[in-house]
Amino acid sequence: MEQFLQILILGLSLGGVYALMSSGLTLIFGVMRIVNLAHASFIVVAAYISYWAFKLIGMDPILSVIITFPIMFLVGLLVYKLIFAKVIESSRFVEITVLLTFALSLIIEGLLNYFFTGIYRSTTPIYCTECLYFGNLYFPEGQFYATIVSVIILLGLFLFLRYTRLGNAIRATTQNRTAAKTVGVNVDRISMLTFGIGTGLAGASGSLVSFLFTFYPAKHMDWGTIILALIVLGGMGSLFGSLVGSFILSVIAAFVSYYFGPTWSPITFYSALFIILLIRPQGLFGKKMELSR
Amino acid sequence: MVILEADNIVAGYGKGPDILKGISLKVEAGKTYCIIGPNGAGKSTFLKVISGLLTPREGKITFKGEDITGLRADQILRKGLSLVPSDRSLFPDMTVKENLRMGGYVLGKQKDLINQRIIEMTEMFPILKERTSQLAKTLSGGQQQQLAIARAMIVNGDLIMLDEPTLGLDPKTRHQIFKSIEILKGNGMTVIIVEQNARLGLEAADRGVVLDLGRFSFEADAEKVLSDQRIQKLYLGAK
Repeated sequence: MEQFLQILILGLSLGGVYALMSSGLTLIFGVMRIVNLAHASFIVVAAYISYWAFKLIGMDPILSVIITFPIMFLVGLLVYKLIFAKVIESSRFVEITVLLTFALSLIIEGLLNYFFTGIYRSTTPIYCTECLYFGNLYFPEGQFYATIVSVIILLGLFLFLRYTRLGNAIRATTQNRTAAKTVGVNVDRISMLTFGIGTGLAGASGSLVSFLFTFYPAKHMDWGTIILALIVLGGMGSLFGSLVGSFILSVIAAFVSYYFGPTWSPITFYSALFIILLIRPQGLFGKKMELSR
Repeated sequence: MVILEADNIVAGYGKGPDILKGISLKVEAGKTYCIIGPNGAGKSTFLKVISGLLTPREGKITFKGEDITGLRADQILRKGLSLVPSDRSLFPDMTVKENLRMGGYVLGKQKDLINQRIIEMTEMFPILKERTSQLAKTLSGGQQQQLAIARAMIVNGDLIMLDEPTLGLDPKTRHQIFKSIEILKGNGMTVIIVEQNARLGLEAADRGVVLDLGRFSFEADAEKVLSDQRIQKLYLGAK
Protein backbone atom coordinates (compact mmCIF):
# COMPACT_ATOMS: atom_id res chain seq x y z
CA MET A 1 0.00 0.00 0.00
CA GLU A 2 2.80 2.32 0.97
CA GLN A 3 4.56 1.55 -2.27
CA PHE A 4 1.38 2.23 -4.20
CA LEU A 5 0.98 5.60 -2.47
CA GLN A 6 4.60 6.48 -3.14
CA ILE A 7 4.27 5.82 -6.87
CA LEU A 8 0.99 7.72 -6.90
CA ILE A 9 2.68 10.73 -5.26
CA LEU A 10 5.52 10.64 -7.77
CA GLY A 11 3.01 10.54 -10.62
CA LEU A 12 0.83 13.31 -9.22
CA SER A 13 3.84 15.50 -8.51
CA LEU A 14 4.62 15.60 -12.23
CA GLY A 15 0.97 15.91 -13.28
CA GLY A 16 0.73 19.56 -12.29
CA VAL A 17 3.76 20.47 -14.42
CA TYR A 18 2.45 18.49 -17.38
CA ALA A 19 -0.88 20.28 -16.96
CA LEU A 20 0.89 23.63 -17.14
CA MET A 21 2.91 22.51 -20.17
CA SER A 22 -0.24 21.49 -22.01
CA SER A 23 -2.55 24.30 -20.84
CA GLY A 24 -1.25 26.84 -23.35
CA LEU A 25 -1.53 24.39 -26.23
CA THR A 26 -5.12 23.49 -25.43
CA LEU A 27 -6.05 27.15 -24.85
CA ILE A 28 -4.70 28.09 -28.27
CA PHE A 29 -6.45 25.15 -29.89
CA GLY A 30 -9.73 26.09 -28.22
CA VAL A 31 -9.74 29.63 -29.57
CA MET A 32 -7.95 29.28 -32.89
CA ARG A 33 -8.55 25.62 -33.78
CA ILE A 34 -4.89 25.12 -34.57
CA VAL A 35 -2.50 22.51 -33.25
CA ASN A 36 0.56 24.53 -32.45
CA LEU A 37 3.39 22.08 -33.10
CA ALA A 38 5.89 24.74 -32.02
CA HIS A 39 4.47 24.86 -28.49
CA ALA A 40 7.05 22.46 -27.06
CA SER A 41 9.80 24.44 -28.80
CA PHE A 42 8.65 27.52 -26.89
CA ILE A 43 8.98 25.47 -23.70
CA VAL A 44 12.55 24.58 -24.67
CA VAL A 45 13.35 28.24 -25.42
CA ALA A 46 12.05 29.24 -21.99
CA ALA A 47 14.07 26.45 -20.38
CA TYR A 48 17.20 27.93 -22.00
CA ILE A 49 16.27 31.42 -20.73
CA SER A 50 15.94 30.03 -17.21
CA TYR A 51 19.16 28.09 -17.63
CA TRP A 52 21.16 31.19 -18.60
CA ALA A 53 19.45 33.34 -15.96
CA PHE A 54 20.47 30.72 -13.40
CA LYS A 55 23.98 30.34 -14.73
CA LEU A 56 24.78 34.00 -15.35
CA ILE A 57 23.02 35.81 -12.51
CA GLY A 58 22.08 32.93 -10.21
CA MET A 59 18.38 33.48 -10.65
CA ASP A 60 16.29 30.69 -9.18
CA PRO A 61 14.48 28.85 -12.03
CA ILE A 62 11.14 29.06 -10.20
CA LEU A 63 11.60 32.80 -9.80
CA SER A 64 12.53 33.05 -13.47
CA VAL A 65 8.86 32.36 -14.30
CA ILE A 66 8.37 36.09 -13.81
CA ILE A 67 10.66 36.76 -16.77
CA THR A 68 9.90 33.77 -19.01
CA PHE A 69 6.13 34.31 -18.96
CA PRO A 70 6.22 37.92 -20.20
CA ILE A 71 9.07 37.29 -22.64
CA MET A 72 7.31 34.32 -24.19
CA PHE A 73 3.99 36.21 -24.14
CA LEU A 74 5.60 38.87 -26.33
CA VAL A 75 7.19 36.19 -28.52
CA GLY A 76 3.70 34.71 -28.95
CA LEU A 77 2.24 38.06 -30.00
CA LEU A 78 5.07 38.55 -32.47
CA VAL A 79 4.73 35.06 -33.95
CA TYR A 80 0.99 35.55 -34.29
CA LYS A 81 1.43 38.89 -36.04
CA LEU A 82 4.17 37.63 -38.37
CA ILE A 83 2.73 34.24 -39.21
CA PHE A 84 -0.92 33.66 -38.35
CA ALA A 85 -2.42 37.09 -39.00
CA LYS A 86 -1.51 36.70 -42.67
CA VAL A 87 -3.27 33.37 -43.16
CA ILE A 88 -6.22 33.69 -40.78
CA GLU A 89 -8.72 34.30 -43.58
CA SER A 90 -7.51 31.34 -45.61
CA SER A 91 -9.99 28.50 -46.09
CA ARG A 92 -7.09 26.12 -45.41
CA PHE A 93 -6.05 27.88 -42.22
CA VAL A 94 -5.90 24.71 -40.12
CA GLU A 95 -3.70 22.77 -42.56
CA ILE A 96 -1.46 25.78 -43.21
CA THR A 97 -0.90 26.46 -39.52
CA VAL A 98 0.01 22.84 -38.77
CA LEU A 99 2.74 23.03 -41.41
CA LEU A 100 3.81 26.53 -40.38
CA THR A 101 4.13 25.63 -36.70
CA PHE A 102 6.03 22.44 -37.55
CA ALA A 103 8.42 24.50 -39.68
CA LEU A 104 8.71 27.04 -36.87
CA SER A 105 9.62 24.30 -34.37
CA LEU A 106 12.41 23.10 -36.68
CA ILE A 107 13.69 26.65 -37.16
CA ILE A 108 13.76 27.18 -33.39
CA GLU A 109 15.57 23.87 -32.92
CA GLY A 110 18.11 24.86 -35.56
CA LEU A 111 18.73 28.25 -33.98
CA LEU A 112 19.11 26.75 -30.50
CA ASN A 113 21.55 24.21 -31.88
CA TYR A 114 23.52 26.97 -33.57
CA PHE A 115 23.77 29.15 -30.47
CA PHE A 116 23.88 26.60 -27.66
CA THR A 117 24.94 23.34 -29.36
CA GLY A 118 23.25 20.03 -28.62
CA ILE A 119 24.71 19.64 -25.12
CA TYR A 120 22.29 18.30 -22.51
CA ARG A 121 21.56 21.00 -19.97
CA SER A 122 19.61 21.46 -16.77
CA THR A 123 19.36 24.09 -14.06
CA THR A 124 20.53 22.74 -10.74
CA PRO A 125 19.05 24.66 -7.81
CA ILE A 126 19.80 23.08 -4.47
CA TYR A 127 16.27 21.80 -3.93
CA CYS A 128 16.27 19.62 -7.02
CA THR A 129 18.46 17.09 -5.25
CA GLU A 130 16.52 17.14 -1.95
CA CYS A 131 13.41 15.34 -0.78
CA LEU A 132 10.58 16.21 1.57
CA TYR A 133 9.52 13.38 3.87
CA PHE A 134 6.02 12.69 5.16
CA GLY A 135 6.40 9.64 7.34
CA ASN A 136 7.78 6.94 5.11
CA LEU A 137 6.67 8.73 1.97
CA TYR A 138 8.89 11.18 0.14
CA PHE A 139 8.38 14.02 -2.31
CA PRO A 140 11.25 15.07 -4.57
CA GLU A 141 11.48 18.70 -3.48
CA GLY A 142 11.90 20.08 -7.01
CA GLN A 143 8.84 18.26 -8.30
CA PHE A 144 6.88 19.34 -5.23
CA TYR A 145 7.65 23.03 -5.73
CA ALA A 146 7.15 22.82 -9.50
CA THR A 147 3.73 21.26 -9.04
CA ILE A 148 2.71 23.84 -6.42
CA VAL A 149 3.76 26.69 -8.73
CA SER A 150 2.01 25.02 -11.68
CA VAL A 151 -1.22 24.64 -9.73
CA ILE A 152 -1.03 28.28 -8.61
CA ILE A 153 -0.53 29.45 -12.21
CA LEU A 154 -3.35 27.22 -13.45
CA LEU A 155 -5.61 28.49 -10.69
CA GLY A 156 -4.76 32.04 -11.75
CA LEU A 157 -5.57 31.11 -15.33
CA PHE A 158 -8.89 29.63 -14.25
CA LEU A 159 -9.82 32.77 -12.28
CA PHE A 160 -8.71 34.97 -15.17
CA LEU A 161 -10.87 33.05 -17.67
CA ARG A 162 -13.83 32.92 -15.34
CA TYR A 163 -13.96 36.38 -13.83
CA THR A 164 -12.38 38.88 -16.19
CA ARG A 165 -13.89 40.49 -19.26
CA LEU A 166 -10.99 39.36 -21.43
CA GLY A 167 -11.15 35.86 -19.96
CA ASN A 168 -14.85 35.63 -20.72
CA ALA A 169 -14.19 36.77 -24.27
CA ILE A 170 -11.62 33.98 -24.63
CA ARG A 171 -14.08 31.41 -23.26
CA ALA A 172 -16.81 32.74 -25.53
CA THR A 173 -14.57 32.55 -28.59
CA THR A 174 -13.59 29.00 -27.64
CA GLN A 175 -17.23 27.94 -27.39
CA ASN A 176 -18.60 29.66 -30.46
CA ARG A 177 -16.50 31.87 -32.68
CA THR A 178 -19.40 33.26 -34.73
CA ALA A 179 -21.45 34.00 -31.63
CA ALA A 180 -18.46 35.79 -30.14
CA LYS A 181 -18.33 38.02 -33.21
CA THR A 182 -22.05 38.77 -33.01
CA VAL A 183 -21.76 39.97 -29.40
CA GLY A 184 -18.94 42.28 -30.37
CA VAL A 185 -15.81 40.32 -29.49
CA ASN A 186 -12.94 41.20 -31.78
CA VAL A 187 -11.97 37.58 -32.31
CA ASP A 188 -8.78 38.41 -34.21
CA ARG A 189 -7.51 40.42 -31.26
CA ILE A 190 -8.64 37.69 -28.86
CA SER A 191 -6.84 35.08 -30.98
CA MET A 192 -3.65 37.10 -30.84
CA LEU A 193 -3.85 37.61 -27.07
CA THR A 194 -4.69 33.94 -26.54
CA PHE A 195 -1.69 32.93 -28.59
CA GLY A 196 0.39 35.26 -26.44
CA ILE A 197 -1.02 33.86 -23.18
CA GLY A 198 -0.63 30.27 -24.41
CA THR A 199 2.98 30.92 -25.34
CA GLY A 200 3.50 32.69 -22.00
CA LEU A 201 2.26 29.55 -20.25
CA ALA A 202 4.74 27.54 -22.31
CA GLY A 203 7.37 29.98 -21.01
CA ALA A 204 6.36 29.48 -17.38
CA SER A 205 6.41 25.71 -17.74
CA GLY A 206 9.80 25.92 -19.46
CA SER A 207 11.26 27.49 -16.32
CA LEU A 208 9.89 24.67 -14.19
CA VAL A 209 10.97 21.79 -16.41
CA SER A 210 14.44 23.29 -16.67
CA PHE A 211 15.29 21.71 -13.31
CA LEU A 212 13.05 18.63 -13.58
CA PHE A 213 14.48 17.27 -16.83
CA THR A 214 17.58 17.63 -18.91
CA PHE A 215 16.97 19.39 -22.18
CA TYR A 216 18.60 20.11 -25.52
CA PRO A 217 17.36 21.77 -28.72
CA ALA A 218 15.58 18.66 -30.07
CA LYS A 219 13.84 17.98 -26.75
CA HIS A 220 10.67 19.55 -28.15
CA MET A 221 10.02 16.31 -30.03
CA ASP A 222 9.64 14.35 -26.75
CA TRP A 223 7.77 17.05 -24.88
CA GLY A 224 5.58 17.83 -27.88
CA THR A 225 4.39 14.24 -28.10
CA ILE A 226 3.75 14.07 -24.37
CA ILE A 227 1.65 17.23 -24.23
CA LEU A 228 -0.19 16.27 -27.38
CA ALA A 229 -1.16 12.98 -25.69
CA LEU A 230 -2.30 14.90 -22.61
CA ILE A 231 -4.59 17.26 -24.46
CA VAL A 232 -5.93 14.58 -26.77
CA LEU A 233 -6.86 12.49 -23.72
CA GLY A 234 -8.49 15.44 -21.98
CA GLY A 235 -10.22 16.67 -25.13
CA MET A 236 -8.56 19.26 -27.33
CA GLY A 237 -9.58 22.76 -26.34
CA SER A 238 -10.69 21.74 -22.86
CA LEU A 239 -8.50 23.21 -20.11
CA PHE A 240 -10.12 21.06 -17.48
CA GLY A 241 -9.62 18.06 -19.74
CA SER A 242 -5.91 18.77 -20.13
CA LEU A 243 -5.61 19.02 -16.34
CA VAL A 244 -7.33 15.67 -15.81
CA GLY A 245 -5.44 14.09 -18.73
CA SER A 246 -2.14 15.28 -17.30
CA PHE A 247 -2.72 13.75 -13.90
CA ILE A 248 -4.06 10.47 -15.31
CA LEU A 249 -1.19 9.93 -17.72
CA SER A 250 1.54 11.07 -15.35
CA VAL A 251 0.29 8.62 -12.71
CA ILE A 252 0.10 5.78 -15.25
CA ALA A 253 3.59 6.69 -16.48
CA ALA A 254 4.89 6.56 -12.90
CA PHE A 255 3.49 3.05 -12.45
CA VAL A 256 4.87 1.92 -15.81
CA SER A 257 8.23 3.37 -14.85
CA TYR A 258 8.23 1.53 -11.52
CA TYR A 259 7.14 -1.87 -12.81
CA PHE A 260 8.78 -1.94 -16.23
CA GLY A 261 11.64 0.56 -15.86
CA PRO A 262 11.96 4.27 -16.70
CA THR A 263 12.76 3.65 -20.36
CA TRP A 264 9.20 2.36 -20.80
CA SER A 265 7.62 5.40 -19.19
CA PRO A 266 7.42 7.58 -22.35
CA ILE A 267 5.63 4.81 -24.20
CA THR A 268 2.66 5.42 -21.89
CA PHE A 269 2.08 8.75 -23.60
CA TYR A 270 2.63 7.46 -27.13
CA SER A 271 0.35 4.48 -26.55
CA ALA A 272 -2.29 6.69 -24.96
CA LEU A 273 -2.22 9.03 -27.95
CA PHE A 274 -2.66 6.11 -30.32
CA ILE A 275 -5.41 4.40 -28.33
CA ILE A 276 -7.41 7.56 -27.63
CA LEU A 277 -7.39 8.59 -31.27
CA LEU A 278 -8.68 5.15 -32.20
CA ILE A 279 -11.34 4.80 -29.51
CA ARG A 280 -12.47 8.29 -28.56
CA PRO A 281 -10.86 10.96 -30.77
CA GLN A 282 -12.65 13.77 -28.95
CA GLY A 283 -11.02 12.73 -25.64
CA LEU A 284 -12.64 12.77 -22.22
CA PHE A 285 -14.06 16.29 -22.20
CA GLY A 286 -13.71 17.51 -25.77
CA LYS A 287 -16.30 17.98 -28.45
CA LYS A 288 -16.29 16.04 -31.65
CA MET A 289 -13.84 17.79 -33.91
CA GLU A 290 -14.99 19.64 -36.97
CA LEU A 291 -12.99 20.39 -40.02
CA SER A 292 -14.31 23.90 -40.42
CA ARG A 293 -13.56 26.68 -37.98
CA MET B 1 -36.57 58.24 -41.46
CA VAL B 2 -34.20 55.79 -43.15
CA ILE B 3 -32.06 54.07 -40.52
CA LEU B 4 -30.26 51.59 -42.77
CA GLU B 5 -29.43 51.82 -46.42
CA ALA B 6 -27.76 49.10 -48.46
CA ASP B 7 -26.72 50.32 -51.87
CA ASN B 8 -25.85 47.96 -54.72
CA ILE B 9 -24.33 45.25 -52.51
CA VAL B 10 -22.28 42.53 -54.20
CA ALA B 11 -20.95 39.78 -51.93
CA GLY B 12 -19.83 36.15 -51.85
CA TYR B 13 -17.65 33.75 -49.91
CA GLY B 14 -13.91 33.33 -50.45
CA LYS B 15 -13.13 33.16 -54.15
CA GLY B 16 -16.59 31.77 -54.94
CA PRO B 17 -19.22 33.38 -57.18
CA ASP B 18 -21.29 36.37 -56.17
CA ILE B 19 -24.20 35.39 -53.93
CA LEU B 20 -25.58 38.92 -53.71
CA LYS B 21 -25.63 40.56 -57.11
CA GLY B 22 -26.13 44.24 -56.52
CA ILE B 23 -29.00 44.53 -54.08
CA SER B 24 -30.27 47.71 -52.50
CA LEU B 25 -32.65 48.29 -49.61
CA LYS B 26 -33.79 51.24 -47.54
CA VAL B 27 -35.01 50.41 -44.06
CA GLU B 28 -37.30 52.84 -42.24
CA ALA B 29 -36.71 53.30 -38.52
CA GLY B 30 -39.19 51.55 -36.22
CA LYS B 31 -40.53 49.27 -38.93
CA THR B 32 -40.31 45.49 -39.22
CA TYR B 33 -39.07 44.00 -42.47
CA CYS B 34 -39.38 40.39 -43.49
CA ILE B 35 -37.08 39.06 -46.20
CA ILE B 36 -38.36 35.94 -47.91
CA GLY B 37 -37.03 33.88 -50.77
CA PRO B 38 -35.99 30.37 -51.76
CA ASN B 39 -33.04 28.52 -50.25
CA GLY B 40 -29.74 29.83 -51.55
CA ALA B 41 -31.21 33.19 -52.57
CA GLY B 42 -28.74 35.02 -50.31
CA LYS B 43 -31.00 36.05 -47.41
CA SER B 44 -28.59 35.03 -44.64
CA THR B 45 -25.64 36.33 -46.66
CA PHE B 46 -27.32 39.73 -46.81
CA LEU B 47 -27.65 39.82 -43.00
CA LYS B 48 -24.03 38.73 -42.61
CA VAL B 49 -22.90 41.57 -44.85
CA ILE B 50 -24.97 44.13 -42.96
CA SER B 51 -23.71 42.90 -39.57
CA GLY B 52 -20.05 42.88 -40.62
CA LEU B 53 -19.54 39.12 -40.55
CA LEU B 54 -18.87 39.24 -44.29
CA THR B 55 -17.25 42.10 -46.17
CA PRO B 56 -19.06 43.10 -49.38
CA ARG B 57 -17.13 43.03 -52.64
CA GLU B 58 -18.95 46.11 -53.87
CA GLY B 59 -21.54 48.55 -52.63
CA LYS B 60 -22.09 50.77 -49.64
CA ILE B 61 -23.93 50.32 -46.34
CA THR B 62 -25.08 53.32 -44.34
CA PHE B 63 -26.44 53.04 -40.80
CA LYS B 64 -27.89 56.11 -39.07
CA GLY B 65 -26.28 58.20 -41.78
CA GLU B 66 -22.82 56.76 -41.22
CA ASP B 67 -20.90 54.62 -43.71
CA ILE B 68 -20.32 51.23 -42.06
CA THR B 69 -19.10 49.36 -45.15
CA GLY B 70 -16.25 47.03 -44.28
CA LEU B 71 -16.37 47.64 -40.54
CA ARG B 72 -15.89 44.63 -38.25
CA ALA B 73 -18.89 43.01 -36.54
CA ASP B 74 -17.91 44.41 -33.13
CA GLN B 75 -17.62 47.94 -34.56
CA ILE B 76 -21.04 47.68 -36.19
CA LEU B 77 -22.62 46.28 -33.02
CA ARG B 78 -21.24 49.25 -31.08
CA LYS B 79 -23.21 51.49 -33.42
CA GLY B 80 -26.45 49.74 -32.41
CA LEU B 81 -26.98 47.07 -35.06
CA SER B 82 -27.18 43.49 -33.81
CA LEU B 83 -27.72 40.08 -35.36
CA VAL B 84 -29.18 36.83 -34.08
CA PRO B 85 -27.72 34.18 -36.41
CA SER B 86 -29.80 31.27 -37.66
CA ASP B 87 -28.08 28.65 -35.51
CA ARG B 88 -28.83 30.78 -32.41
CA SER B 89 -25.09 30.88 -31.76
CA LEU B 90 -25.12 30.70 -28.00
CA PHE B 91 -22.20 29.92 -25.75
CA PRO B 92 -23.26 26.39 -24.82
CA ASP B 93 -21.09 25.94 -21.74
CA MET B 94 -21.99 29.29 -20.24
CA THR B 95 -25.05 29.86 -18.10
CA VAL B 96 -28.02 31.92 -19.24
CA LYS B 97 -26.75 34.83 -17.16
CA GLU B 98 -23.22 34.54 -18.56
CA ASN B 99 -24.64 34.51 -22.10
CA LEU B 100 -26.63 37.64 -21.32
CA ARG B 101 -23.57 39.25 -19.78
CA MET B 102 -21.62 38.49 -22.95
CA GLY B 103 -24.39 40.29 -24.82
CA GLY B 104 -23.19 43.44 -23.04
CA TYR B 105 -19.55 42.84 -23.95
CA VAL B 106 -19.32 46.00 -26.03
CA LEU B 107 -20.59 48.06 -23.09
CA GLY B 108 -17.18 47.48 -21.54
CA LYS B 109 -16.88 47.87 -17.80
CA GLN B 110 -20.31 49.44 -17.26
CA LYS B 111 -21.30 46.62 -14.91
CA ASP B 112 -24.30 48.40 -13.41
CA LEU B 113 -25.74 49.12 -16.84
CA ILE B 114 -25.18 45.53 -17.98
CA ASN B 115 -26.80 44.14 -14.81
CA GLN B 116 -29.72 46.52 -15.27
CA ARG B 117 -30.16 45.38 -18.87
CA ILE B 118 -29.99 41.72 -17.79
CA ILE B 119 -32.79 42.37 -15.28
CA GLU B 120 -34.85 44.08 -17.98
CA MET B 121 -34.31 41.21 -20.40
CA THR B 122 -35.23 38.54 -17.87
CA GLU B 123 -38.40 40.48 -17.12
CA MET B 124 -39.16 40.69 -20.81
CA PHE B 125 -38.46 36.97 -21.27
CA PRO B 126 -39.66 35.42 -17.99
CA ILE B 127 -38.63 31.92 -19.03
CA LEU B 128 -35.00 33.07 -18.78
CA LYS B 129 -35.49 34.46 -15.30
CA GLU B 130 -36.21 30.99 -13.97
CA ARG B 131 -33.11 29.60 -15.62
CA THR B 132 -30.36 32.15 -15.07
CA SER B 133 -27.97 29.55 -13.62
CA GLN B 134 -28.71 26.91 -16.21
CA LEU B 135 -26.20 26.14 -18.96
CA ALA B 136 -27.38 27.39 -22.36
CA LYS B 137 -26.92 23.98 -23.94
CA THR B 138 -29.51 22.50 -21.58
CA LEU B 139 -32.30 24.86 -22.71
CA SER B 140 -34.97 23.79 -25.19
CA GLY B 141 -34.84 25.13 -28.76
CA GLY B 142 -37.42 27.83 -28.08
CA GLN B 143 -35.73 28.91 -24.86
CA GLN B 144 -32.39 29.08 -26.66
CA GLN B 145 -33.90 31.31 -29.31
CA GLN B 146 -35.40 33.60 -26.69
CA LEU B 147 -32.00 33.74 -25.00
CA ALA B 148 -30.33 34.60 -28.30
CA ILE B 149 -32.83 37.42 -28.90
CA ALA B 150 -32.52 38.70 -25.34
CA ARG B 151 -28.74 38.62 -25.58
CA ALA B 152 -28.82 40.63 -28.79
CA MET B 153 -31.03 43.21 -27.06
CA ILE B 154 -28.72 43.78 -24.09
CA VAL B 155 -26.87 46.51 -25.97
CA ASN B 156 -30.17 48.31 -26.47
CA GLY B 157 -29.43 48.95 -30.12
CA ASP B 158 -31.62 50.51 -32.75
CA LEU B 159 -31.86 47.66 -35.21
CA ILE B 160 -31.98 43.92 -34.66
CA MET B 161 -31.74 41.30 -37.40
CA LEU B 162 -33.12 37.81 -36.85
CA ASP B 163 -31.95 35.09 -39.19
CA GLU B 164 -34.51 32.28 -39.37
CA PRO B 165 -35.65 32.70 -35.76
CA THR B 166 -38.11 29.79 -35.90
CA LEU B 167 -35.82 27.31 -37.65
CA GLY B 168 -36.35 23.82 -36.24
CA LEU B 169 -39.00 24.90 -33.73
CA ASP B 170 -42.44 23.37 -33.23
CA PRO B 171 -45.56 25.50 -34.00
CA LYS B 172 -46.21 26.42 -30.36
CA THR B 173 -42.63 27.61 -29.83
CA ARG B 174 -42.71 29.46 -33.15
CA HIS B 175 -45.69 31.36 -31.80
CA GLN B 176 -43.69 32.24 -28.66
CA ILE B 177 -40.84 33.55 -30.76
CA PHE B 178 -43.14 35.78 -32.77
CA LYS B 179 -44.57 37.07 -29.52
CA SER B 180 -40.98 37.99 -28.62
CA ILE B 181 -40.69 39.81 -31.93
CA GLU B 182 -43.87 41.70 -31.07
CA ILE B 183 -42.12 42.80 -27.86
CA LEU B 184 -39.21 44.14 -29.93
CA LYS B 185 -41.61 46.05 -32.15
CA GLY B 186 -43.42 47.36 -29.10
CA ASN B 187 -40.12 48.76 -27.87
CA GLY B 188 -39.80 50.76 -31.06
CA MET B 189 -36.94 48.72 -32.45
CA THR B 190 -36.36 48.33 -36.15
CA VAL B 191 -36.43 44.63 -36.98
CA ILE B 192 -35.31 42.69 -40.02
CA ILE B 193 -36.40 39.05 -40.12
CA VAL B 194 -35.28 36.42 -42.54
CA GLU B 195 -37.87 33.69 -42.34
CA GLN B 196 -38.42 30.40 -44.18
CA ASN B 197 -42.00 30.37 -42.97
CA ALA B 198 -42.86 33.27 -45.22
CA ARG B 199 -46.49 33.63 -44.19
CA LEU B 200 -45.65 33.79 -40.49
CA GLY B 201 -42.85 36.27 -41.12
CA LEU B 202 -44.90 38.55 -43.33
CA GLU B 203 -47.81 38.57 -40.92
CA ALA B 204 -45.51 39.96 -38.24
CA ALA B 205 -43.89 42.53 -40.57
CA ASP B 206 -44.71 45.98 -41.90
CA ARG B 207 -42.77 45.50 -45.11
CA GLY B 208 -42.03 42.43 -47.17
CA VAL B 209 -39.00 41.96 -49.38
CA VAL B 210 -38.53 39.10 -51.83
CA LEU B 211 -34.97 38.04 -52.55
CA ASP B 212 -34.31 35.70 -55.43
CA LEU B 213 -31.02 34.70 -57.06
CA GLY B 214 -29.11 37.37 -55.22
CA ARG B 215 -31.42 40.22 -56.20
CA PHE B 216 -34.43 41.85 -54.57
CA SER B 217 -37.27 41.13 -56.94
CA PHE B 218 -40.12 42.69 -55.02
CA GLU B 219 -40.61 45.05 -52.09
CA ALA B 220 -43.93 46.32 -50.72
CA ASP B 221 -46.07 46.53 -47.61
CA ALA B 222 -46.20 43.09 -46.01
CA GLU B 223 -49.95 42.83 -46.56
CA LYS B 224 -49.53 43.52 -50.25
CA VAL B 225 -46.76 40.93 -50.53
CA LEU B 226 -48.98 38.43 -48.72
CA SER B 227 -51.84 39.04 -51.09
CA ASP B 228 -49.77 39.06 -54.29
CA GLN B 229 -50.84 36.01 -56.30
CA ARG B 230 -47.46 35.40 -57.84
CA ILE B 231 -45.75 35.53 -54.42
CA GLN B 232 -48.44 33.32 -52.97
CA LYS B 233 -47.83 30.76 -55.66
CA LEU B 234 -44.04 30.87 -55.44
CA TYR B 235 -43.39 31.25 -51.74
CA LEU B 236 -46.58 30.81 -49.73
CA GLY B 237 -47.67 27.42 -50.98
CA ALA B 238 -50.82 28.57 -52.84
CA LYS B 239 -51.93 26.57 -55.86
